[in-house]
Amino acid sequence: MIWRYLARRAFLLVFVMFALTGFVFSLNFMFPTEAMLTAGVLPANTSANVLSQYITYCQQLLLGHWGTSLATQQPILGEVLALLPATIELAAAALLFSLFAGIPLGLLAAVRKDRWLDRLISGAALIGFSMPVFWWALLLIMVFSLHLGWLPTSGRLSVLYDVPHQTGFLVLDILRSELADKTAALSNAFIHLLMPMLVLACYPTTVMVRFVRGSMLNVLEKNYIKTARAKGLSRGQVLWHHGMRNALLPVTRQIGLQFSSLLTLAMLTEVIFSWPGIGQWLIDSIYQRNYPAIQAGVLVLSTLVILVNILTEILHTVFDPLARKL
Amino acid sequence: MKSVQISISSLLLLCLNGCQPSIEQARPEGLVYCAEGAPETFNPQLVTSGTTIDAISQHLYDRLLDIDPTDGKLLPGLALSWSVSADGLTYRFVLRTDVHFHQTSYFTPSRLLSPADVEFTFNRMLDHQHPYYRASVEYPYFDSVGWQDLVKHVKAVSADTIEFQLNQPDSSFLSVLATDFAAILSAEYGEQLIKAGQPNLLDSQPIGTGPFIFANYSKNQLIRYRQNQQYWQQQVHLPQLVIDIVPDNTKRLAKLLTQECDIAPLPRLAELKMLAQRPGFVVTEQTSMNVGYWAFNTQKPPFNQIKVRQALALAVDKQHMLQAVYFNQAEIAHSVLPPNSWAYESQLPTTSFDLVKAKQLLSEAGYPNGFQMDIWAMPVQRTYNPNAQKMAELLQADLAKIGVKAKIVSFEWNAFRRKLRDGEHDSVLIGWSADNADPDNFFRPLLSCAAAISGGNRANWCNESFDQLIGSALLTTEQQQRRSYYLAAQQFLQQEMPLVPIAHSKKFQVQNIQVQNISINPYGGINFASTTKSPRSPISGANR
Amino acid sequence: MKKLRLYYEEYNRRPYQLLWRHFVTQQFALFGLLSLLSLLLIAIFSPLFTPHDPYLQNSALLNQVPSWQNGGQVAYPFGTDDLGRDLLSRLMLGCSYTFGTALLAVFGSLAAGLLLGGLAGMSKGVKSSIFNHLLDLALTIPSLLFAIVIVAVLGPGLQNTLWAVMLALLPQFVHAVRHEIQHQLKQDYVIAYRLDGANNLQILWSVILPGLWEPLTLLFTMALSTAILDIAAIGFLGLGAQAPTPEWGTMIADALDAIYLAPWTVALPGLLIFITVLSINLVGDGLRVAMKKRREI
Repeated sequence: MIWRYLARRAFLLVFVMFALTGFVFSLNFMFPTEAMLTAGVLPANTSANVLSQYITYCQQLLLGHWGTSLATQQPILGEVLALLPATIELAAAALLFSLFAGIPLGLLAAVRKDRWLDRLISGAALIGFSMPVFWWALLLIMVFSLHLGWLPTSGRLSVLYDVPHQTGFLVLDILRSELADKTAALSNAFIHLLMPMLVLACYPTTVMVRFVRGSMLNVLEKNYIKTARAKGLSRGQVLWHHGMRNALLPVTRQIGLQFSSLLTLAMLTEVIFSWPGIGQWLIDSIYQRNYPAIQAGVLVLSTLVILVNILTEILHTVFDPLARKL
Repeated sequence: MKSVQISISSLLLLCLNGCQPSIEQARPEGLVYCAEGAPETFNPQLVTSGTTIDAISQHLYDRLLDIDPTDGKLLPGLALSWSVSADGLTYRFVLRTDVHFHQTSYFTPSRLLSPADVEFTFNRMLDHQHPYYRASVEYPYFDSVGWQDLVKHVKAVSADTIEFQLNQPDSSFLSVLATDFAAILSAEYGEQLIKAGQPNLLDSQPIGTGPFIFANYSKNQLIRYRQNQQYWQQQVHLPQLVIDIVPDNTKRLAKLLTQECDIAPLPRLAELKMLAQRPGFVVTEQTSMNVGYWAFNTQKPPFNQIKVRQALALAVDKQHMLQAVYFNQAEIAHSVLPPNSWAYESQLPTTSFDLVKAKQLLSEAGYPNGFQMDIWAMPVQRTYNPNAQKMAELLQADLAKIGVKAKIVSFEWNAFRRKLRDGEHDSVLIGWSADNADPDNFFRPLLSCAAAISGGNRANWCNESFDQLIGSALLTTEQQQRRSYYLAAQQFLQQEMPLVPIAHSKKFQVQNIQVQNISINPYGGINFASTTKSPRSPISGANR
Repeated sequence: MKKLRLYYEEYNRRPYQLLWRHFVTQQFALFGLLSLLSLLLIAIFSPLFTPHDPYLQNSALLNQVPSWQNGGQVAYPFGTDDLGRDLLSRLMLGCSYTFGTALLAVFGSLAAGLLLGGLAGMSKGVKSSIFNHLLDLALTIPSLLFAIVIVAVLGPGLQNTLWAVMLALLPQFVHAVRHEIQHQLKQDYVIAYRLDGANNLQILWSVILPGLWEPLTLLFTMALSTAILDIAAIGFLGLGAQAPTPEWGTMIADALDAIYLAPWTVALPGLLIFITVLSINLVGDGLRVAMKKRREI
């Protein structure tokens, strides 16, 4: 049964990927053609019909020939692979923070509904939810970097550390490098990560708080909670065994749905903090009218979102028996 | 329970108090210079851009001659002494014999500097059969001074002497050799690359004799240099020099304030006062010979008509620009030569701001209702123009009053310069910083016919009589005579108006107070050979 | 005075009155609604009421501090920017641009979403399934990314931003409308209508549409806040309204250059974006709570 489910998911994935590559391929015709020809993305004989062009394009994608960037004349796939780990690091850090901070706060707010703690947490969540991310980032920079001098304003690591690029994930690269003092480098990397992570995590954390609060409130009204209390379980037991587990079930799916907004905000955060990731690269490509790079960036980011969506759907189906409709 | 709470909270408070992470914990030693742009290449022969020169030239390379920063006189560099023949056609240089080339992971020198290296460096540009010769537009500075027509040959005449033979006398020849563009390359490295079949690496994995050795370059991110412990001139104190590329001015300043950068060039003029008041930072003002100007593409109508150019020149409100763009940290320019050049003449007539006369001239030229044009504004800050966009907006407003509708155009800096070279512009706000103390440096690279071909002449203006005037100035070494030629040239320029000189700006640099001994160099790239950095202390916020 | 009741009748308020009563009792939601209405008024009437010309450059008054600091003038309540333009006037005009464009985008998206969602919701079978999956795909592309790509294709500018945000919000509306319609189609009263002989269009118009307003209103508020944040973000990146248009995001990006000298030129537009989005979210939250209470009673 599980194989049938996975097979359905895989089939859907293939279908969605075709649609995505079709959309990205259609960008070829919307971007100026000379730019795409010089970058080697469009095949030389544009006289062939659209379908065979599309098939050639897909073949090129799978082979790794994503064209050359107009700005640097380097192969795009190489650039993308070098920058992607940085974005993944940032997004993962923000996501983890939103889980570890958002879920407890949301549960706390739901349990203490309409008391001052709930008002405080919900109010703060609403404020955080309404704040434009770039303004929030500027405020944090003004306070923590320029005024107090605690945190740096940009980059992943102080430039004085010579850490050659190997995997792209900074922690691994530092450990594999030949630096004398690795702990200092790691702590330096951490303080560089702190502010971008806090900025990026603002939106998902507040969404998580509001969502978990709503979900918990829904669960607390259900009949089985009343039954459990009537049976004599203490408040804590009810909350832990029945309340929390059921309230947290939809969280995995929510993460998947929120991931695309997370990536959007990651792009803005990378631009403000000069974080060397895909988002900043993509925005720079737009300024430079680097069309093949834009195309590749859209493809990569959308694929990432699709994969995360599928992953969280599978996880959700694993955790929630009611969602398993085969 | 309560005691546990108290102890936990006090522990937290202690931790927060004790660990105030300041950014500079146990960082490796070195200097960080925040540059405003990425270098195009690592060979100064191939560029004229100040950004590239600042990032590479004085760090990696040396020249035959150097310039004294205080009086502009020529000093020995790699050449210990030199002599000129009586007819001014033969120059001989006696070279130092104790200069080591860099040793890196990709090259180990087997010999010291010799005349063969000087031959290699300059024959690359002269000899069409040379394996490193490329199309002539690749040497913009040397092409604009007519190097290939000037130099007959470069030859080693003994183990330590090199001879340059010229076709005609040129009084700026020695000054050209002292510019940052005349960096001496390694012939041995060149041969090694030819054998390996990778000649392009000469310009991207450089070898020189300078105070720093190339370690690595992350494109558009940073350049890392290591100390050259065998530097011939002096001891280099910095173990590492990192050029961090930060194009955005606000971010550059932010990095300076948080001590992620030690030095930031081109600070925003409006913020200088604020910076000077901050403890821990020093604002240095440097003498600079530069000019910011507005050039018309004289190949495109209507800019091929003198009256149109003169009319547009009368619509430039230089006083207003001085206030709004330069914040009064500059002086109005009436000629391309700045006042601190020895050929400057204060008797030149000054330009005025006269919209009525401008409109009159326009109607005389056949455009009573004005026309449409582009103003190309640089996206980056330069010493000669800190905010071209703002200047373009001011110009746009003034031009509208005489009926000329201007559109402001800009691109990313490298793309911008490329398109300028291809002559796509109507007019452009740009400028020039001097590379040596010779006044010819303001005329030939900017306004000669050779420069029009090589792309440095933004006005695409080629005038035989002008070329003759500045050419005659080079045939003599008599300063008075040269001055009179340059005066005639400047008067001619004021008539023809291929470009409108706007201002000569002061050059500023902000640095952390721990950085000392940066050589102030008005004529070229920044030099860190003798720089030291004292140990750090945590920064204090503005209100502490 | 209470209404005179001669007979013992059950007097029930109409649904909207009930909603309003529940909404009004929440102070924050009411506050949000009031500020939203005032912003709407500013957005519509600002070109008539700005104290100064928002585009007039005054070189004598560069970077004037706001009136509550030393050296400020009441004539320029929020100070001036680095070209001497009055900030209050620019912010008011910016309300028209940012808020107004967002409203237009959301209305357009709503209309198109109703149309497409209605078609999708009423259709069945393979066509419906394919459409659903395409829709899921459209939902996975991040909205800002989608908007940025469209702007990259069409070029920067406020109008293109409008199209981009409209297209980016469309999948959410279509998804919500389709979901709601399919949910409603399973209800008993729809079966009753079918048995009475109504065709698809009549069912859509009389039965389903009235039931759509509730979720659509909530979605409208969420989409509006997303639209404002997206428009401001695109303006901030320099891809939206170009200078000298005083759109709030563009104003922040322009003012970043002078952040050390004139921090209020960065803080105030951001504060206004924040207040606008906060008001919308307060109203949205208030509506959601009010609808829930109305359902319970």
